[in-house]
Amino acid sequence: MILREEESAWQAEEFKATMVSLAKKNLFHDRVRFLVALIGIQFAVVLMTLQIGFLLKFMTNASVLIDHIEADLWITAKNLKNFDFGLPFSEQKLYEARRAPGVLWAERFLMGFSYWKMPDGGQETIQVIGFNPETRIGAPWDIVEGDLTDVKYFNQIFIDEADRARLGFPRVGDEVEIIGQRARIAGITRGAKSFTGSPFVFTSFKNALKLSFIPPGQTVYILVKVAPGYAVEEVKQYLAETLTGVDVYTKREFSWKSRRYWLLVTGAGIALLSTALLGLLIGTIIVGQTIYASTIDHLREFGTLKAIGASNADLYRIIIAQALIVALIGYATGMLLSRIFLHVARRAGLEAYLPPEVLLAIFGLTVLMCVSASIISIYKITKLDPALVFRS
Amino acid sequence: MSRTVLVLDRVSKVYGEGASTVIAVRDVSLELTEGRFVLLMGPSGSGKTTLLLLMGCLLKPTRGRLFLFEHEVSALDERTLPLLRRRYIGFVFQTFNLFPALTALENVELALNLKGITGRRARQQAAELLARVGLGERLHFLPRDLSGGEKQRVALARALAGDPPILLADEPTGMLDSRTGRQIVELLAELSRTENRLVFMVTHDPRVRDLADEVLVMEDGSIVARERAEEEMAAASRGERR
Repeated sequence: MILREEESAWQAEEFKATMVSLAKKNLFHDRVRFLVALIGIQFAVVLMTLQIGFLLKFMTNASVLIDHIEADLWITAKNLKNFDFGLPFSEQKLYEARRAPGVLWAERFLMGFSYWKMPDGGQETIQVIGFNPETRIGAPWDIVEGDLTDVKYFNQIFIDEADRARLGFPRVGDEVEIIGQRARIAGITRGAKSFTGSPFVFTSFKNALKLSFIPPGQTVYILVKVAPGYAVEEVKQYLAETLTGVDVYTKREFSWKSRRYWLLVTGAGIALLSTALLGLLIGTIIVGQTIYASTIDHLREFGTLKAIGASNADLYRIIIAQALIVALIGYATGMLLSRIFLHVARRAGLEAYLPPEVLLAIFGLTVLMCVSASIISIYKITKLDPALVFRS
Repeated sequence: MSRTVLVLDRVSKVYGEGASTVIAVRDVSLELTEGRFVLLMGPSGSGKTTLLLLMGCLLKPTRGRLFLFEHEVSALDERTLPLLRRRYIGFVFQTFNLFPALTALENVELALNLKGITGRRARQQAAELLARVGLGERLHFLPRDLSGGEKQRVALARALAGDPPILLADEPTGMLDSRTGRQIVELLAELSRTENRLVFMVTHDPRVRDLADEVLVMEDGSIVARERAEEEMAAASRGERR
């Protein structure tokens, strides 16, 4: 009984700190092994950060317009795959939608592929976006240069600053040619980059019809705002039942449908995700192997500790502390490397999206990776016979 | 009067089952008191190390009873055994088993930490223990920078951490030259006499018999001979040869 009471004193915080200090010294003592573990984690962190960052950016781009437009509902052609593959349908549906109970407003919105003539005579595929310049529903949200009202006028267009290089570095005021028609650049937007890589060209709905291949009297989307006091789901249900030949989605549903298509159906997202998972797996193996080798090397010392009275929990603490130290240093340096790689990628036009919660999740994964990598070592320690230390 | 610290009452340790059964320790009964320096000798495979493991609470007997002070070790659960080891026993190993990443001071400090002594007090006590074994000038040396004898002295200082009443040493001179080995055994003998500690040492080295209070000889798991130093000295004074 007295022994049990003494045990609590032995487990003082200071003692725990000693175990952590021992873990640190063990780890840094063998510098080569420590560096190998560090490289393993850095590799995993860089791969995860880049791949997840690119994936999130792709996913954000896949629904960038849907997410920025303040419509509650999207009416689309039947069985549409995603936003970028929009198909035209009769504009009559717009008027039917406007008459539906619970609809505050409904607007036409156009997205059609077209061709931009490059200064060298070549052509670049573009996505023409047509919106109502009076209400500005569906208009670009971040204007760097120009007045958005200008799109009301004949073939006045806005392009995104991220696409300027792709379109031959046109400036505001320049005249360009889109499917044989002259258009004038009225302004520059920011943050409106498409997923497909084909630059967005914003203009009025009327101009968009002329600059794309969508026939007159047709629209590609109808944007609907639900009136206050009405439930979005109810209005959606009503429109879906009354409008024939079209589908109705909530903003969230259509956004996810577009993302899901690129993420899962095409396999593009799966490929990025697989690489991130591969990084995690390889990192786990390298760290696991390193911590295991270090445990085997120090087995006699662990046995000694056990012989002189350390409990299994004390020894686990050393192993886990080693894993956490490697995880912390590996994450910090891995993130530093990732920043360098992301900077290079940005210069090549490849953007990543890494909100703080994702960085936190990657940190969590790194810790999980390192701790799970030490499980074999913990198992080895559990089975360790302290009599081992008596063998020469 | 010397206290009894360790009692073995018909203790046996059996490994394996059926045809592969090996009786490593067979019906050993011993009563060991504080302040004694006891040697355990015998050929390889005679069960010396198993007996040491039993006495060190690293193994539980298959049969018989083992008492460490008032605690009946054979009746305690596995969780309590480490607590007994921390409180009562210091170990010295043949291969030193020091943490290579820790200095001499840190190696001893770690053992003190494990016994509940932490912080500045632990550091001071570790330095004192190292000074006690003659390593006061080598506190901040890593094991790789110490000679074999010095490493064993560090191990000895570590075994003394927490002032355990029992020191168990397994071939502590096995990795040392004879002169250094002798010095270590002399130190162990001194620690037993001056600090009233039971020092129980397994050895193959007959040259250190003269330093012991008692020599036990083990064969096939049993204690086959028990020689007391007084008897040996008396025999020597009569001019008899062993």
